[in-house]
Amino acid sequence: MKLLIIEDEQGLRENIEKYFTEEGSICEGCKDLKSALYKVALYTYDCIILDINLPDGEGFAVLEYLKAYRKDECVLIISARNGLDDKLKGLNIGADDYITKPFHLAELRARLMAVFRRKNYGSNNTLNYQELIIDLLGRTVTFQQKEIILTRKEYEMLLYFIANKGKVVSKNAIAEHLWGDNMDMIDSFDFIYTHIKNLRKKLLDSSGNDFFNSVYGVGYKFI
Amino acid sequence: MKLSAHYNKVSIIVSIATLLISAVIYYLAINTIAQNQLDDNLSEETEEVKNYVNLNGRFPKQVDFDEDQTLIRKTNITAFKTRYFDTVYNDLKDKKIQPGRAVATLMLYKSENYLVTIIVSRESTEYLIQTIFIITLILSLILLTTLLVANKYLLSGLWRPFYIILSRVKEFNVADSTQIATVESRVNEFQELNDAVVTMSTRVSTDYQSLKAFTENASHEMMTPIAVITSKLDTLIQDERLISDQLSQITDIYAATSRLSRLNQSLLLLVKIENGLLPEDEPINLKNVLLEKLQQFQEIVMDKRIEIFTEIDDLEVVASKYLIDILVNNLFSNAIRHNQMPGLINIKLTNGVLEFQNSGNGNPLEQNLIFKRFYKGKSSEGTGLGLAVIKNICIHYNYKIGYQLIGGLHSFTIHFL
Repeated sequence: MKLLIIEDEQGLRENIEKYFTEEGSICEGCKDLKSALYKVALYTYDCIILDINLPDGEGFAVLEYLKAYRKDECVLIISARNGLDDKLKGLNIGADDYITKPFHLAELRARLMAVFRRKNYGSNNTLNYQELIIDLLGRTVTFQQKEIILTRKEYEMLLYFIANKGKVVSKNAIAEHLWGDNMDMIDSFDFIYTHIKNLRKKLLDSSGNDFFNSVYGVGYKFI
Repeated sequence: MKLSAHYNKVSIIVSIATLLISAVIYYLAINTIAQNQLDDNLSEETEEVKNYVNLNGRFPKQVDFDEDQTLIRKTNITAFKTRYFDTVYNDLKDKKIQPGRAVATLMLYKSENYLVTIIVSRESTEYLIQTIFIITLILSLILLTTLLVANKYLLSGLWRPFYIILSRVKEFNVADSTQIATVESRVNEFQELNDAVVTMSTRVSTDYQSLKAFTENASHEMMTPIAVITSKLDTLIQDERLISDQLSQITDIYAATSRLSRLNQSLLLLVKIENGLLPEDEPINLKNVLLEKLQQFQEIVMDKRIEIFTEIDDLEVVASKYLIDILVNNLFSNAIRHNQMPGLINIKLTNGVLEFQNSGNGNPLEQNLIFKRFYKGKSSEGTGLGLAVIKNICIHYNYKIGYQLIGGLHSFTIHFL
């Protein structure tokens, strides 16, 4: 996958690049609108992560350019403004999703993968991970033709982990993904342990593989 | 007491006092003038008697002076100073005692001394004084009435701009963008007052707006650094060389960062509600929202061993879905966060009233403080903005919110109708 990250905040851009760089993926970053438009004009990407507030203009210009030249890169907007106007405007001129700062890299990746899948696999709505086959329309998971019955949250959790395979995902990120980012009601995310345990057991029982690695106190890794 | 009443009181007391004093002075003056006139008459009559005696060589008969009474008595007194005095006399015509004015003087006739006393009636003078008194009284009454009526209308007319300014100041709301309108008045003081009020309100509004803008900008600006911290942490935990102690530190940093982020989002939300920058209102079935949230939080509730009892009717409200979500979310958060383990939550939606009851420590909360920003219990790890957000949403939609401790349960009610 070829990815362009347009973000003026150096720390954030570098971390996104690092997080998304893996075997078979190329990440490029740029820090202003001018260089972004230059790159978009010259090269073709699979996905673009676009910050709206750039030092030399609004990121919407990139969307307008893509629309004008009928390029069909997936675009995911990131913005510090939690404004609905921005969101609607972005989605109207061709962005595929919108995420508000601050966000977890795991969340960004899960969103980007979802957008990318939707755009590139069209009617083929299955996702394979090792021998697990996930039907995205029917929301079912099968292993060697055997269906694994998952609850809604377990299913979402599995997709989230598959999108972030090989990465340590923090409990905060999982909780915010599944229960919304308004998690003001609890101080510890220990209850997540129960859910991971259930999912882990179901997958282990059906496939004989343990997909999860627990990372002390912080989170989990899906392998 | 109203200003006009104060003014009336003072002006009536002063007018009555002035009228009374002037009435006394007036009476004394008229009395003196009348008396002098009578005394002049009497001295003339005395002269006439003297002339009569000189001319006719005898004293006149008593009846010669028609209404007056003349008494002549022989006396041994040789020296007597002529004196005038008030007296009463027996009116022969009307057969009654009448007030009169008399003069007594000594008269020498044929080497003998006679005391001559002449009495004239004071009736006409008294009558004059009475008439003047009545006229004065009537005039005073008219004056007082005029004063009262004039005060009432003149004052209320005169003070009208003042009351207009006052009502506008009362209506003034710093959060509104509308400014206090200028009131035209010919009275300099009111013009000045009005100018001062307008200047002040404009300044207050501007300060308030810039404070709000500051809060908004500050919160926005903070989002990027928080995003950097979060992404750094997300990257940091990928490092396999980290030991458990470091990971536990990272967990704490995660918790603090997400709290900071929620705090910021709540502040932004408060500013947004105050500015009315909200998504459009739409009809929402509150029952569905509640059931959805129940579903969403069921794992957390189970984990905390909280039992939930519900009695939920359908209720349609017209509001922003976004805000209603937050409202219900915060009610749930509040009820879960401040609960005990094991605990219970009652959720009731009947007759347009939503009620959230939760167990917890049985101490009643401070009604006036709980909805204030950053007010929270010592042990609370929340942002301290949850209830403030609820309150602002309720104010925005004119819902009535209340808190009570009922049978050891903390009960929050929202009246939607």
